[in-house]
Amino acid sequence: MQAVSLVNSPADAAALSVTQAATRAAAQAAAQSAAQSAAQAASAGAARRRAGLLTLRRLVLPVLAAALVLAVWEIGTRWAQVPEVLLPPPSAVLDRLVNAFPLLMKHAWPTIWQSLAGFAIATVLGITLATLLSASTIIRETLYPNVVFFQLIPKIALAPLFVVWFGLGPEARLSFSVFVSFFPVVIATLAGLDNVERDLLRLCRALTASNWQTFVSVRLPHAMPYIFSGMKIASTFAIIGVIVGEFITSRAGLGYLILFASAQAETALILASISVLCVFGLVFYGVVALCERWTIERFGDRPR
Amino acid sequence: MDVTVNPAPPASGDDPAAAWRHPASVLPDRAAAYLSLRHARKVYQTRTGDVEAVGMADFDIAAGEFVSILGPSGCGKSTLLSMVGGLESVTEGEIWIEGARVTGPRRDFGYIFQDPTLLPWKSVLDNVLFPIRTQKRPVADYEGEAHRLLERVGLAEFKTLRPRELSGGMRQRVALCRGLINDPRLMLMDEPFSALDAISRDDMNLALVRLWDSYQKTALFVTHSIREAVFLADRVLVMTARPSRIVADLRLPFARPRDVTLQDTPEFNRICAWLRDQIQAGYGRPIQPPAG
Repeated sequence: MQAVSLVNSPADAAALSVTQAATRAAAQAAAQSAAQSAAQAASAGAARRRAGLLTLRRLVLPVLAAALVLAVWEIGTRWAQVPEVLLPPPSAVLDRLVNAFPLLMKHAWPTIWQSLAGFAIATVLGITLATLLSASTIIRETLYPNVVFFQLIPKIALAPLFVVWFGLGPEARLSFSVFVSFFPVVIATLAGLDNVERDLLRLCRALTASNWQTFVSVRLPHAMPYIFSGMKIASTFAIIGVIVGEFITSRAGLGYLILFASAQAETALILASISVLCVFGLVFYGVVALCERWTIERFGDRPR
Repeated sequence: MDVTVNPAPPASGDDPAAAWRHPASVLPDRAAAYLSLRHARKVYQTRTGDVEAVGMADFDIAAGEFVSILGPSGCGKSTLLSMVGGLESVTEGEIWIEGARVTGPRRDFGYIFQDPTLLPWKSVLDNVLFPIRTQKRPVADYEGEAHRLLERVGLAEFKTLRPRELSGGMRQRVALCRGLINDPRLMLMDEPFSALDAISRDDMNLALVRLWDSYQKTALFVTHSIREAVFLADRVLVMTARPSRIVADLRLPFARPRDVTLQDTPEFNRICAWLRDQIQAGYGRPIQPPAG
């Protein structure tokens, strides 16, 4: 402090001591805040570690649970000497999976492409129909109750009809898969297109936007997360549609292989086929779910 | 007190409803007014009968005037604003703007709603430019203005953020810039700050008053806050509910530029008290059958 040399009266000295006290207080405050920020940094690190642990826990716990079930299954079937026809141990299924891999892949292919195609067609048709329903009151009043009706009936029961109409080829399975997975897309898309804030639509009208402009710049972007949540459901429904179709009539596909294996009492092959189906279903669903997450991040109004 | 007060005549005489129909709020030469509502009325048909949302609005607004429409909720002030903006049809009467009848929304209007109604997937800047893109104007001509407006309301550093990253008050500022971007002739504001907390609201009032120091657009501002109405406007129209009527037309004696300290002056508070009395008198009035 330069002021020291200027002290020549008690008042000045008092003033100085006050200044010094203030400086000390400031220094203390600075030290405190430094300590605080260090503590904050440390707690931020701790928080990150905690978050990391939580993610790990979320990953590890379900895997552990599944592993436990598999272990009990493996040990249980061996210990109780359950016949393989009834329930083969997981190791036998794995064995069969490796042995019959080329066969499984050969049959997986038709199931996969028909599911993907059915899903794609259902998505396009579903979004188109939802757009029409949201655009025209007349179309909506005419069709929407029927859409809801079809959504509610057990669609699986209609599968044989598709064989009658489309024959024994892949067309029957494909069209049935479209039929099954189409409704969730319609319902979800329509919800998204309709669920736009009323004032946002008023704004569009006030700006003299055309219906098409409003659709492209407001309704459709707003509906994106809804569309993808509908597609997520459709992805699993599409596979169900194809498998059911294959159960009814086909000479290829995982559904056919499951039926064939069950006729041969090859339980391990059934389970191996189901495993392949599970992997495909998981990957399919996972990709669509990732897209959905992205649309929520991109078009949603609050951070995830 | 240098206030031109034109309260409507009290309900007396043979036809009490008729007495409220013509508040002294029209210009001598009605054709010269920028905005002219002539016996505009809105009636909604419901299952239980007709409901009068706006009864006989009859007033003129000169170009450049900032007019607050003050009234309790349910008095039809928002409906009135929608009719002026062409978003709602007029059941009876006419609305004229610059010698043309309002039949629908116009490109030279700016709108601000109670909610910011921003597009969550667009940046602040793109939200401000939304009217330009929608109205197919050349975006390049308006980008400079968008930056200027955002700077004026203190959002210069937030241009690239998304609405969800902003506070409520900041979002409403973006909406304010969006309303002004196409250089509207008439600004229509429908309780734009009523969803904000008190502090953000004061903040927004100040921001708006500052903007109006230089923009000077004709504006209709709907609010149920007396102080907000008086602080912002050149003129206050008081509306009552049941029946929906304009019962007072008050020209404010405050010059621009304005400052927050205006709210502390005795004159400001006297006017607020007078307006409060007008609104309360509106509650005490007996229910009258719809006129017409």
